[in-house]
Amino acid sequence: MSGLATIRAAASYTPTFRIDAAAFEQAWGSFDAPGIESKAVPDADEDALTMATEAGRCALTAASIDGEAIVWLGWATTTPPIEAEALTPRLKSMLAIDNQTPSVSVTDSTRAGTQLLREAPADRTALVLVSDCPQGAPDDELGHAGGAGATAFVLAPDGHAPITEANSYESPKPGVRFRQPDETYDHGLDIGQYERSAFIDAIASASESITTADADAVAVQAPNGKRPYRVADTLGVDPARIKRVGTVHELGDTGAASVPLGLTRALAEDCSTIIGASFGGGVGADVLRIECTGAVPVIEATSTEGQLSYAAYLRRREAITTPTIDTGAAHVSVPTWQRSIPQRHRLIAGECPNCDALAFPPSGACPQCRTLVDYEPIDCWTSGTVETVTTINRGGAPPEFAAQQDQQGAFEVAIIALSIDGRSVSLPAQLTASAGVGARVKPVIRHIYTQEGVPRYGVKFQPASVQ
Amino acid sequence: MPEAYLVGAGQSDFGSFPDESYRSLFRTAYENAIDSVPNGLDPDLIDEAVIGTLGVGGRQLGLSGPAVTEHLGLHGIPCTRVENACAAGGYAVRQAAMAVKSGLADVVLAGGVEIMTDVSGDSVRFWLGVSGETEWERLSGTTFAGVYAQMARAHMDQYDTTTEQLSRVAVKNHSNGADNPHAQLGFECSLEDAENAPTVASPLNLYHCCPTSDGAACALIVSEDVVEQFTDEPIRIAGVGAASDSVGLFQRETYTSIPASQQAGADAYAMAGIEPTAVDFAEVHDCFEIAELLAYEDLGFCEPGDGGAMIDRGETARDGTLPVNTSGGLKSKGHPIGATGTGQVVEVFKQLTGAAGDRQLESPTYGLTHNVGGSGGAAVVHIFERERSTAGDRR
Repeated sequence: MSGLATIRAAASYTPTFRIDAAAFEQAWGSFDAPGIESKAVPDADEDALTMATEAGRCALTAASIDGEAIVWLGWATTTPPIEAEALTPRLKSMLAIDNQTPSVSVTDSTRAGTQLLREAPADRTALVLVSDCPQGAPDDELGHAGGAGATAFVLAPDGHAPITEANSYESPKPGVRFRQPDETYDHGLDIGQYERSAFIDAIASASESITTADADAVAVQAPNGKRPYRVADTLGVDPARIKRVGTVHELGDTGAASVPLGLTRALAEDCSTIIGASFGGGVGADVLRIECTGAVPVIEATSTEGQLSYAAYLRRREAITTPTIDTGAAHVSVPTWQRSIPQRHRLIAGECPNCDALAFPPSGACPQCRTLVDYEPIDCWTSGTVETVTTINRGGAPPEFAAQQDQQGAFEVAIIALSIDGRSVSLPAQLTASAGVGARVKPVIRHIYTQEGVPRYGVKFQPASVQ
Repeated sequence: MPEAYLVGAGQSDFGSFPDESYRSLFRTAYENAIDSVPNGLDPDLIDEAVIGTLGVGGRQLGLSGPAVTEHLGLHGIPCTRVENACAAGGYAVRQAAMAVKSGLADVVLAGGVEIMTDVSGDSVRFWLGVSGETEWERLSGTTFAGVYAQMARAHMDQYDTTTEQLSRVAVKNHSNGADNPHAQLGFECSLEDAENAPTVASPLNLYHCCPTSDGAACALIVSEDVVEQFTDEPIRIAGVGAASDSVGLFQRETYTSIPASQQAGADAYAMAGIEPTAVDFAEVHDCFEIAELLAYEDLGFCEPGDGGAMIDRGETARDGTLPVNTSGGLKSKGHPIGATGTGQVVEVFKQLTGAAGDRQLESPTYGLTHNVGGSGGAAVVHIFERERSTAGDRR
């Protein structure tokens, strides 16, 4: 064996909102990201962590395994929602992966996803999550190009898509793509030929020892919709093979997820020989070759909820909103929040040992028999039904949610009934999109709010109509 | 059980008063209460005080009771703060009645005070949310408007209640409040105004929500041993009922009624020995207009689900068979949280003593107050009876 991992299943997730190039042209007089027709925009409560979780859950479903089967976790992104704090412990919690499972995250360039695929263990069941939502300044090409997306791969020796060859190349060429500490926006120096040659040379060098010309599909790093085709000659492939699995035209620049999303699309299309060629600032490149021996189960969770205006896009990307003011009362401390993590991340309710009724959260006297009991944990991560719902309009939200409301406007808060074995338990939660009383909804992980600089994540519910 | 009597009650104006402090507003309410006692009441006779306040803004969260009573010169008396969210004032009245009925005190001041309009919009929203279930309900993104909106949506879904019926409650209460000089929003509103207001939390719009308010209100509760010193026409606290429930709506058995109100009402009726049909008028907790319709149903004024029809028929208007919120209610009079429950008692006192001015009802005997904390985590109901016979003939 090559020591490289084998893909057993894959999934992708992209946010439901899109913005067209035309909206930028109307706002700026031009759209500066060539080859991009539209791009995906994360909702106000989505980020690289929530997108990774959604893709991860879908990949586990595609592989027909639970999180507990995962013995190695990797996460790649260039846009972690917080820095200098490991987020893989939260990912493991959200995906029901054992706390002690080894994990790594790579965040330093748009090569991060392919680096993880190269380095993942070949002999164990592993999960690689790649998610990104890069942003540039609103008035530059990176800002116009920045999209969003996530993909996940379950790796296992019994999979049908082995990575048969992989190679990397690195060379010190600063200034192609970077971000200052404590900044939101990626930058480039916009030195055209320097950047283009850095891109082409790195991929050419990384691909030297790998056969690429016979590939059915070639996923190439796409900072815009033109750049990937510049290596078609270098790789000896028809540009149509690149376009076949390119997501940049529809989703924009998905950063670290760019090449992995293309690989997932190629697997979904049952391509047999697949090449991935990534590039990242610094600079470096990875080239992977996958030779499928059979079909790989893939779930692509991509639905389009709606088109955003340019103003709505700026609000969602926090370009024209101000942070929440913390005025202190009714504060839920981080330790208090932490104690509810099994409920926030996995909807663990309690089962009364006395009368079998369900309780959420699982503490205090049983809601049915009123006995003070110690509950048995019970997994309630399942679709539910809206019992009642309200739309919280501007000004009607608690201040913790003022920033979210600034970004996305009115939001819906419902009481959801979850039914397990004929028993029902209810909890209050936001909906990710509009739904009426009686509607079916499924749980998803979203950013709930940030306080004292600590982003907090938990369950919201997504109407079946947008799944 | 010894009886307790209401011999005086008074309030400050409810509204927004940048030049007033919580102490100055309380002083106004206290002085008006003392002045309302028919035969006068020497403050030195006050044995005890119970003060309802949530403490919005946090200005004097600890010892907020003594902070006002010492300011009034009620030096040295036992004073306790009661906090039961928006029902704090009603529970202060209940505590005062208990002190009298237990024999520990003969004259008790039950007061309430709140200042809500001197903090930023973000800050007041923080404070408005402190009485909801914090960890799950609030952090699903709701304040009380949202939780009551969820109750309204469920009620509409189950009983076909309409937003127009909610608006009719607002129109009625504004009509009453327009005749109350203490009311914060003392103006009439049309059904069209109420129907077309901006949405706060659907299906509730601005006219379906009470304002935030500054204000104070006080009631004087005395024992049967001393009542004759203060009045020749005693008002007996005939019934007291109170109950609690899960703080979060999602933890309750029903979203279309408030079980704590039902229990408190049933207990108060039982103690008073009357049926709901005997009630001549009521001050109910209409923090959001769906809450008034729920109160009709929970207090037995109509069958479950018929609240909307009851307002449609005009039964709770001032000239109806059971006038509700003749003061203007929380919607028009205002809702200074800790003062609301005692403020309801002020209206009952005025109506039962013939001092309600332009909104005076014709010779009522039984007046009911209904005060709810949060979305139903606490509720308290009092039934007051004007005794028309002499004190010696008391039941």
